[in-house]
Amino acid sequence: MRSSPTLSRRAALAAGAAALALPAVTRANATDPIGYATWSAAVDQVKAHVAGFEKKTGLSVAYSNSPFAQYRETMITKFTGGAPLDMLWVSDAWLPEFAQAGWLAPIDPYKQLTAYDAVTADFCVKSTIFEGKQYGLTYYTDYMGFLYNADILAKAGITTPPATWDEVISQAQTIKSKGLLDYPVVIGMAQESWMIEFMSAMVYSTGGRFVDDAGNAVMQDPKAGAAMALNWLVDAVQTHKVLSPGCVTTGELEVLKTASAGRAAFVLLPKYRLKVLNDPAQSQAAGHFKQALMPMGAGGSHSTVGWMRFYGATPRGLSGARAEGVVKLMEWFGGKADGDYVFQKTILKDLALSFGITELYKDAAVRADLGSYGDVDLMSKQQEVAHKKDTISPWFGEWNDTHGTAWQQAITGKLSAAAALKTSAEKWATLKKAG
Amino acid sequence: MIVPRPIGPRVVRAAILAAASVLLLAYVLAPVAWLLSSSLQTEREIVSIPPHWIPDHPTAQNFRAIFATGLGLAQPSPNGADPASGGFIPSVAGNLLPAMGNSFIVATAVVILNLLIGVPAAYAIAKIRFRGRGVALYAILATRVIPDIALVVPFFLVVRKLGLLDNLASLIITYLAITVPFSVFVLASFFEQMPDDLDRAARVDGCSRLQVLLRVFLPLARPALVAISLFAFLASWNEFLLALMFTQTAASQTLPIIVAGITSDFTVSFSFLNAAGVLAVLPPVALAVIFERYIVSGLTAGAVKG
Repeated sequence: MRSSPTLSRRAALAAGAAALALPAVTRANATDPIGYATWSAAVDQVKAHVAGFEKKTGLSVAYSNSPFAQYRETMITKFTGGAPLDMLWVSDAWLPEFAQAGWLAPIDPYKQLTAYDAVTADFCVKSTIFEGKQYGLTYYTDYMGFLYNADILAKAGITTPPATWDEVISQAQTIKSKGLLDYPVVIGMAQESWMIEFMSAMVYSTGGRFVDDAGNAVMQDPKAGAAMALNWLVDAVQTHKVLSPGCVTTGELEVLKTASAGRAAFVLLPKYRLKVLNDPAQSQAAGHFKQALMPMGAGGSHSTVGWMRFYGATPRGLSGARAEGVVKLMEWFGGKADGDYVFQKTILKDLALSFGITELYKDAAVRADLGSYGDVDLMSKQQEVAHKKDTISPWFGEWNDTHGTAWQQAITGKLSAAAALKTSAEKWATLKKAG
Repeated sequence: MIVPRPIGPRVVRAAILAAASVLLLAYVLAPVAWLLSSSLQTEREIVSIPPHWIPDHPTAQNFRAIFATGLGLAQPSPNGADPASGGFIPSVAGNLLPAMGNSFIVATAVVILNLLIGVPAAYAIAKIRFRGRGVALYAILATRVIPDIALVVPFFLVVRKLGLLDNLASLIITYLAITVPFSVFVLASFFEQMPDDLDRAARVDGCSRLQVLLRVFLPLARPALVAISLFAFLASWNEFLLALMFTQTAASQTLPIIVAGITSDFTVSFSFLNAAGVLAVLPPVALAVIFERYIVSGLTAGAVKG
């Protein structure tokens, strides 16, 4: 008989499929924990704080993490695929995209969360707002800092760090002329996520903007745009030769490691890197790195760029009965936990990550921790003049590719600075028009 | 009369070949040598300029941390400072060994299932005459022209519906979809090269189809079996994209995800990262060395088929 084997094969396949589907049936009936996704950073600190939350509230949290480099794409896949996500870390740069797509839900109805706006740095609050709605609480914030190796400056006979970008050039030339370093200035201009932060810090400190308040490109404006910053970079590489042409392939990590090796006098780095640079276990220049206010350009100020990452919630998380638990979890991390800013203090102590809560600068323990590797008042003063990136938009990623390439071409002399800025501005205008 | 060939040109030729070989070896092995060397350096030493190819102060602190935390004998400190050595150890150190275990389970399961599925399928396509035989082979192979990235969302939906998110089974199932077509193609080509008379003779002697496959063809197909096993193992061991999407916690994350995660943290230890890299390449390299003689003959099986 031929039919028996056929039937038995089909029966086997059916049984296999049923076995495969069994976990789905089982899981669907289980009570869903709060789905909380982050990138793979501060993992131990998050786990410990989640454990405290679960103990305190009796709620269950499913914490997951994935590498930062692929985090945005992973989240988009998970949003598209309907993964059980309630709360997640979000970069300020992704807010327009995530909010427009409906992947994030506003937190405005929850006053216990928005109450923290009053004690949070202004640019942090602004960074969580899109089209008039607020989408989260600050996870951590930092700004681009100007750091210098005091030991190298001392060897060059320089007693005061530079206050202007012109002084950076002149001091770098002195260091170079004494044979201390070939390239005393190290700034990363590789195409990576940090590039816009390096650029924005320089543009703001020279009194420029990429985009005006109405969202129109002004970067090509010779006076109010980004020309002064780009011209400085071009001159530093091409004319003064105090910044390596290799800066176009130097990322933030390479800047850090070069500085750690004692091979840089002046660097732009996130301020939290100051702790690593002064850690003898990780840096050969430990004890020598100090922070100065961001140098000014003519007509500029000590302004720098600030950024923040925040806790956002999905529409699933803020719907119905789930909302109460998710709001509690967001406050537990982004606000106070048991009456204190526990998580903010933990990540500051363990990882040197800054906080958006301005009153923490007055906290004795916080001051002691920051003071162990830097000047607390200067840190606070620099944060006061940090501004959010003006280029955050749904088309940021696409624009940034063109923009970054244009700047790199100018730095390496393949394009004039004016032409590079024109290219960037035209791309911005085209993308803005297309929406 | 035999005229002896002049020695000079032969020596020059041999010298050029030797020099070229040394250059090629240096080019190929330099990154591996640096990986190994830097894994034995402290974070402080690794940033030295010029780099220290031979560490001044070699240390096994990274490997100690991986094994001690992975085996539950120690806990990494949250700020990365290693209390024993004063060095820097990322907090994910304890996840590396479990991730290696996950990678090994997935890769081994994919190899076994590849053999269980691929061998009968390839034998049927190569030796059993049925309608649509040729189409079947190319239809199986055609599934591999779809880029993996295009399959991520559909796969994700299926995996979620099955309730297999953050489960090693999701990786095993999806990796099979990637590796089985290649295995079937290589094995079918190999079986086709074997004379049909072998098949017929065994059948005349009373063997069933299964017995022919197990007792006649499989022993002869060892190079191809090793080749597809290695391919399936390495593809599974190294796969990143699907593992990134389907795994969420250390319970199911494989080695590439954990290693990539090390660079996400706020302080990146290059020496630790390279120690993780050494562990990640050891199993594939060991397999490649052990089965080296089978790999080329297996992969080229059927390559010159007329």
